[in-house]
Amino acid sequence: MRIDSLILRTAVRLVLPLTLLFAVYAAIKGHNGPGGGFIAGLITAVGLCTYRMAFGQRAFFRLLPTHPRWLVFAGLSVAAGVAVIPLLRGDPLLRSGSTTLHLGGEGLHLVSAMAFDLGVLLVVVGVAIGMITRLGEELDP
Amino acid sequence: MVGVPEATDHNGAVISVAPTFVLVAIGAPVVAGLATLLMPRGRTALRVLLATCGPLASLLFLGAHLWRYGVASNEEGTTAIEWVPSVHLDLGFLVDGLATFFALLVAGVGVLIVLYARAYFGDDGPSLARFFPTLGFFTSSMLGVVLADHLLLTVLFWEATSVSSFFLIGWDREDDNAVKQAMQAFVTTGLGGLSLLGGVLLLGDATDTWRWSELVAGAAGIGSGGTVVAAFILIFIGAASKSAQWPFHYWLPGAMLAPTPVSAFLHSATMVKAGVFLLGRLLPVFGLLSIWLPVVVAFGAVTMLLGAVLALRQHDLKLIFAYTTVSQLGLFTCMYGLGGAANGHGGAAIDWDLSQIASHALYKAPLFLVAGALAHRVGARRLPELFGLWRRRVPGARLLVVVLLAAGYALAGGPGTVNFVAKELFFGAVHHAAGSHPLLVVVAVMAVLTAMCNVAIAVRLTATVFGWRTGVDDEGIEPVIESHVHDRWGSLLWLPAAGLVALQYVGGLVPPLWNSAFRRIEVNANDVAFADGLPWLWEPFLHPGVPLAMSVAAIVLGVALGCSSRWRGEVADVHDRIYPASYRLVLRRGHRAFHMFQTGRLRNYLVLMFSMLLLSISWAAWIDPSMLRLPDGVAPFESLTGLLLGAVVCAAAIALPLVTERVVRVMVLGASGFAVVGLYLVYQAPDLALTQLMFEIISVILFLLVLRLLPRLDRRPRISPVPRLVFAALIGITIGWMTLLAGHAAEQRNGDAASLGEFFEEHSLEGSELTNGRGGEGRNIVNVILVDFRGFDTLGEITVLATAALGVWSMLPGRRRHEDDQGDASGQATPVVEVGS
Repeated sequence: MRIDSLILRTAVRLVLPLTLLFAVYAAIKGHNGPGGGFIAGLITAVGLCTYRMAFGQRAFFRLLPTHPRWLVFAGLSVAAGVAVIPLLRGDPLLRSGSTTLHLGGEGLHLVSAMAFDLGVLLVVVGVAIGMITRLGEELDP
Repeated sequence: MVGVPEATDHNGAVISVAPTFVLVAIGAPVVAGLATLLMPRGRTALRVLLATCGPLASLLFLGAHLWRYGVASNEEGTTAIEWVPSVHLDLGFLVDGLATFFALLVAGVGVLIVLYARAYFGDDGPSLARFFPTLGFFTSSMLGVVLADHLLLTVLFWEATSVSSFFLIGWDREDDNAVKQAMQAFVTTGLGGLSLLGGVLLLGDATDTWRWSELVAGAAGIGSGGTVVAAFILIFIGAASKSAQWPFHYWLPGAMLAPTPVSAFLHSATMVKAGVFLLGRLLPVFGLLSIWLPVVVAFGAVTMLLGAVLALRQHDLKLIFAYTTVSQLGLFTCMYGLGGAANGHGGAAIDWDLSQIASHALYKAPLFLVAGALAHRVGARRLPELFGLWRRRVPGARLLVVVLLAAGYALAGGPGTVNFVAKELFFGAVHHAAGSHPLLVVVAVMAVLTAMCNVAIAVRLTATVFGWRTGVDDEGIEPVIESHVHDRWGSLLWLPAAGLVALQYVGGLVPPLWNSAFRRIEVNANDVAFADGLPWLWEPFLHPGVPLAMSVAAIVLGVALGCSSRWRGEVADVHDRIYPASYRLVLRRGHRAFHMFQTGRLRNYLVLMFSMLLLSISWAAWIDPSMLRLPDGVAPFESLTGLLLGAVVCAAAIALPLVTERVVRVMVLGASGFAVVGLYLVYQAPDLALTQLMFEIISVILFLLVLRLLPRLDRRPRISPVPRLVFAALIGITIGWMTLLAGHAAEQRNGDAASLGEFFEEHSLEGSELTNGRGGEGRNIVNVILVDFRGFDTLGEITVLATAALGVWSMLPGRRRHEDDQGDASGQATPVVEVGS
């Protein structure tokens, strides 16, 4: 499933960093503005898929040297961890906590739900990329 | 973690118990067992020593507890650690006489079994390495069962004994039959465990007490309502299945495929005694129910006689002892059943029950141990093969025969053993109870017949090993005597058995010793004749009565039967067919039911799922007709752009079934999706629009990929399009309507109607008393809903996603790892996915 096109390759080279940057922005901004882990994950996946279309399987593996299942594993672990930690304090499952980080200037308000969102992001990226690359391999090994 | 135990007061009355002692006693065997895994390979001696420490520690701690705190009355429980108080489950223990006795029995026999196992398994390192942790697990669970005070804790440990005994019975993993029998035992006792759980829940719910101690204390007020009777019946089924009562007794002889140490442990002192123990626990609780006496006595008596008759007609030593165990368990059940009857002197017809149970363990364990030792040393376990063993020159065999016959004499209940008095006690109880319940005369006769069978078995055993004419001999089958090489542990094959059986004679010949040990823990001593404990050997003969007459009759008849040639051949138990038959039935019906739903066609699954959805929603609408009204505040013609986009979505949906090419279908589906993106934008939901956009891209890519892998669609569906269209339209309309309702759902609270949207708008950043003062601490409502309000759903959803990905990866195994070795990837089968259209 590779599209051999110089224009696409050049464009992707420029667009992919921007896409990933936008995904990071969406993930961090998500709790207060448009965005969130799910969207960020999808954006990342779309970006990576385009890269794979432009450069092919091998280049893609160089970009992402592990099997996507490790992303899924990590994401689920993070999400489950965030869900379980409140139990240790005697709170109900998934009770969120928050803290404000002062790095000079305006304080950065961190909510534990953001870590949960990160887990969601990783799972979404892993699943989407994993399925697409796997099915793509089936078509042109 | 543990409260300071209160000491006894000066009168010696028991005040409390020390939970630490009990916790250590329960935990020690499994901890020591697991610790043996850390021992280096080959250091068997070290391993055995460590494994012995487990039950030994239990024994010592329980002994110390008994010495320091004495025996609690059965109304005093204690809580060591609060575990899950909300479901009435704490680590609470009840160390009364019954529990102390059983715990000491389990731990004591446990020590001997560990030592015996060393001799039995020989230097077989791997086998021993696997054995000790499993045995430790089992011992600990068993100790837990007898010491637990909380009803649910009992059930928990009860199940643990089922699980661990499954491993022990199916020890020989290569032997299919052993594994099958282990399954049979597990399923039977496991189902009994479920019944026990049901009974316990009913009982706890009906009485609102979740501890045995409180139940005993409030036994008078328990009443005899339907729930209590149902609870009793369910709990009794649990106890009966564990204690191998008819008709569940089939699992016990089947479990004889286990290695002998396991059989000896499970069937003399532990597993099967759990049911007997439970009956002992229940007696003060349910003993006054009118249903107690008939039910418990009937099942016990039937099992007792059936087991004895079947035991007489076996030739394999282990099977003989297995069926005598069944018989004896029936007797114990009967014994506790009689506890619900009066003995005519103002007490219950039950005396020194713990002595009777101890007596059984003290001869049954040696019998099993010797049977295993004979198989080990002589290579023979069947009666015909053992014919004339005494005269053969097999090293060490005579010693085993002496122990076997000593234990056999105890089995017969010969004078001079504890078991003789135990039989007297039981006969006495039946005799007394029969005074008030004439029907129990039948049970008395059955008891005599049972004792007769036991005597006959002992007689036949003796005649066989000495090679007398009345012994069992199959016309000179010369057994193959394997000569085993023995190490210095060899004496452990007979020492534990000899030690245990010696206690039978010590207790029988010098009863004061026995009494001094048991007086403190026996609760049921009602008959004046036995008020001081077991009598001296001659006392029954000085004051002869009906019980002695029954004993004499049993012995005379038994000797006659043993010498005669009647009932000599082997028979199979007809009940052995129960389990295989029900197993096959379940498999066959289950197979049919499975194929009814699992057709392997996606279309059928979808129809099933959507039908259920339609049904449940229609049902809801039938209950609450307001669901059919258009909710307030719906303004369908508010925005022209919205209308147009909606029209695009509808058009795409209608076009979908009309096009035949799959790729075009995907495109059409994509068009509808992108129109929805536009809708989100129109109604100012940038978040959703972005998500939907990304999702549409990904899903179109995925669809195109999958479709290229699918076989060509050349087969037309058999069902005509009209019903499918109607069904699809119904689903679409229903789900659309539900979405509309959900969007306008309002919650009536304190008179203010707030729609869900307003609620989340209010609470996504800061909380109010509606949300226990907590908000989502975020301004993006959608995201806050996802990760906070409905975080649990999201967790579930990403798990589903991950599972789906796992499915793709496992159904289409990756080729990446083949890249290095350049294996031929073309050999892989193309996956076949069948989809309905």
